[in-house]
Amino acid sequence: MSLAARARAVAGPSAPDRVRRTWSQARLFGGVVLGMWAVMFWFLFLSGRVYLYLSTRTAWVVPVGAVLLTLAAVGRLAASRVPAADYLRRREALVLTLMVLPVIVVLVLPPATLGTFSAAKKTRFSSVNLRTFYGEITSTSEITLLSVAAGQTSDAGSEALAKRAGSDVDFVGFVTRYADTPADELLLTRYVITCCVADATITQVRVVNVSPGQFEPNDWIEVKGQIYPLGREVIVNATSVAGVPRPAKPYLTP
Amino acid sequence: MGGVLVFAVAIRLSSPGRVAWLQAAIIVFGSLVIQALPFVLVGALAAAAIEVFVPLGTLEKLTLLPRPLQLPAAALAGIAFPICECGSVPVARRLAAKGLMPSAAITFMLAAPVVNPVVIASTFVAYRGRGPLWTMVGGRFALGLLTAIVVGWVLGGRTKDELMKPGGPDGAEQVEFGRPEPRWRTFFVHLGNDFLFMGRFLLLGATVAAVVQTFLPQEIVTSLARVPFLSILVMMALAGLLSLCSESDAFIAASFVQFGPGAQLAFLVFGPMVDLKLAAIYAGTFRKGVARAICLTTALVVFGAALWVTVIAG
Repeated sequence: MSLAARARAVAGPSAPDRVRRTWSQARLFGGVVLGMWAVMFWFLFLSGRVYLYLSTRTAWVVPVGAVLLTLAAVGRLAASRVPAADYLRRREALVLTLMVLPVIVVLVLPPATLGTFSAAKKTRFSSVNLRTFYGEITSTSEITLLSVAAGQTSDAGSEALAKRAGSDVDFVGFVTRYADTPADELLLTRYVITCCVADATITQVRVVNVSPGQFEPNDWIEVKGQIYPLGREVIVNATSVAGVPRPAKPYLTP
Repeated sequence: MGGVLVFAVAIRLSSPGRVAWLQAAIIVFGSLVIQALPFVLVGALAAAAIEVFVPLGTLEKLTLLPRPLQLPAAALAGIAFPICECGSVPVARRLAAKGLMPSAAITFMLAAPVVNPVVIASTFVAYRGRGPLWTMVGGRFALGLLTAIVVGWVLGGRTKDELMKPGGPDGAEQVEFGRPEPRWRTFFVHLGNDFLFMGRFLLLGATVAAVVQTFLPQEIVTSLARVPFLSILVMMALAGLLSLCSESDAFIAASFVQFGPGAQLAFLVFGPMVDLKLAAIYAGTFRKGVARAICLTTALVVFGAALWVTVIAG
């Protein structure tokens, strides 16, 4: 091969053969949409807001999703130069724009959790196996909202809880009140989620001996007191009730 | 871009958090999408890999199997695909494009979210320590396979064009390349197209599911638990409305202690095959009659089998 031919081979196609590339609107716009979703997943992961939507058991999908979406966005954008120009149809552009709106909603709105409104519509959390998941309620075991909820759904659990009547407890949850809730009582509620908020159920105890008007529905509080199970209902006689900030992980996961 | 910015400012200023139902709907919608979207992406990854790296016609070799074995083989292949229902649709579409008998691809699509090991393991964990453990685990696996095979059998030997809508994820891709693009570029283009195509239907389905979840009091549902026929139908309807991920729905099914094993089994098999978000995805992927046939056949098989389980297991 002559030097000139070798030089041509190294340089690539000659000018007439070289393909002039231009941006593909469809690929570019799609890549931007993927990129925005990636930004949202990174935001959820880095800000800890993932726990406002998912349980501790499934939170791993967010960093995985962030990495995969980033790769998908970068790969698509890198493949967005094409030999012939294409134009994004108006309908497709509209659909892609609509796909960005949920990202905006999540990024722009202040953090929030399910509250009293949904509590009235959810069923009580049901344990599948008290002993397996929460440990047996013994004379010395810690009583948590999850073990209370689990105890409320089985006869054995109710009996075990009943034996602990008068034990000290320390629960954190949000205030729920219904029309028939007496002024000096409130319901302390916490959502239990297995995978995401869509599968939320509730665990609830009745707190008595509360100063009337001190707390509004949806306020987060810490209640200390003694527990008194009455059948499937659990009452806490409060010795102290104090407002607390919403926990970083507001939903319980069994 | 300007419109998106205006939307961002408007939604921030309007503070939808002040409206309790709207805030609840946004949170449920967000949770459904955030949980499901990575699985859609994994499905799109698998679909793009099939498109780019599996030579055209490779899967036609499977059609050399005796016809009665093709559908069971496709259903059992779902065991090797541990993702939930949103991810299995793009994979099935690509499998059909690569030469797999289209009805077998749909059988695979329906079976994979029910019979894969992750789902079976989560069902085991959810029912561990309870009487109907093996009824639920074995029943879910067997009924999942059976339903998927029956749906495939009903759809029969119809061609891809008879089953699927034209266009699809690559419909917007009208670029004439002149010469083949490098594989990596093709891979990423198909990945993005599949994801953006399925993602829009996921968003639509999640919106409807979130609204239903926000307003549907679950106590109404549980009050119908004592009537055997009705309890099965109620649990199937609930599975369709809630649109839960197949990897988590066993924990919810197990929490409906008022319902018998038959009704809970119906919830576990029907939900991953037909729900609101899937209905939107099916409507965008399959022809109208096909989507209807999938939903109806699934409902009939699941209801019949659940009724039988109710009679046997009480």
